[in-house]
Amino acid sequence: MRAKLEETMAQVTIDTLEKLAFMFAFPGEEGDDPPRDSTVSGSVSFAGPFSGTLVMTISVEVLQELAGNMLGLDDDEETTQDHRSDALTETMNIICGNLLPAIAGDDVVFNIGVPKVLPADQEIKEGAGIPDELEPSARVNLDFDEGQCVFFLFIGKEIIRDVVMP
Amino acid sequence: MAINILIVDDSGVMRSMIIKTLRMTEVPLGDIHQAANGREGLDVLGEEWVDLVIVDINMPVMNGEEMIDRMQEDPEMKGIPVIVVSTEGSKARIERLEHKGAVFIHKPFTAEVVRDTINSILGLGENDES
Repeated sequence: MRAKLEETMAQVTIDTLEKLAFMFAFPGEEGDDPPRDSTVSGSVSFAGPFSGTLVMTISVEVLQELAGNMLGLDDDEETTQDHRSDALTETMNIICGNLLPAIAGDDVVFNIGVPKVLPADQEIKEGAGIPDELEPSARVNLDFDEGQCVFFLFIGKEIIRDVVMP
Repeated sequence: MAINILIVDDSGVMRSMIIKTLRMTEVPLGDIHQAANGREGLDVLGEEWVDLVIVDINMPVMNGEEMIDRMQEDPEMKGIPVIVVSTEGSKARIERLEHKGAVFIHKPFTAEVVRDTINSILGLGENDES
């Protein structure tokens, strides 16, 4: 179950990043969690036949490239903090929107909450409203030339309370 | 004929992506207006001449589906073609939007899909540059 979930998650994340921002990723080895001081994390919760939260942790350098590519900026143009936050939340929204039907099919309905950037000085689970005892049901590591991107999928009915609908 | 387009999406980065994509399509572009939610979108429609609306669904304040419903209630707005650009994956929800007259494009999209959809919904031919 976990292997199938991670295979689907890897396919969706790689495909989405390629189509969205022309970024080509390779599945990486599962290692330690990326250091918080060189990464940015975000989360998006969802509710439907099953409920949960998708967490995305991305290297600062990869996020800079993601935002720049989405905006169509030249290599020497800098993105702003707002651009990077917006690019992260929009990317999470698109990945979550594509991942859930890939897992559960398109006959079911999910409500996807508002994605958010997590505070750097807070534990990821705490910032995302995920119960501390809940472990991820799937984890995917993606490697880029400039850094890394890690996705965690937490599934648990108790998370439904924290879903903020648009 | 230049096409005036209204883009409604709460993500500024996504609005920029759509504009960048539109410029790659060779669709004759006129004024491009932007709004961050359905309420702002309706305000723009009340003030500007718009030939095509491109709208997201999940937005704060007023979502895209409610904006489409309000447009259909307004005789001045109900004839404006609408393209929904969204991550929505539910077949039932997509069909509900299509029953309201909207055409659906899934995120992430390609320039070719955007071009073909606009050409189809506005009846523009490949060689129609008038």
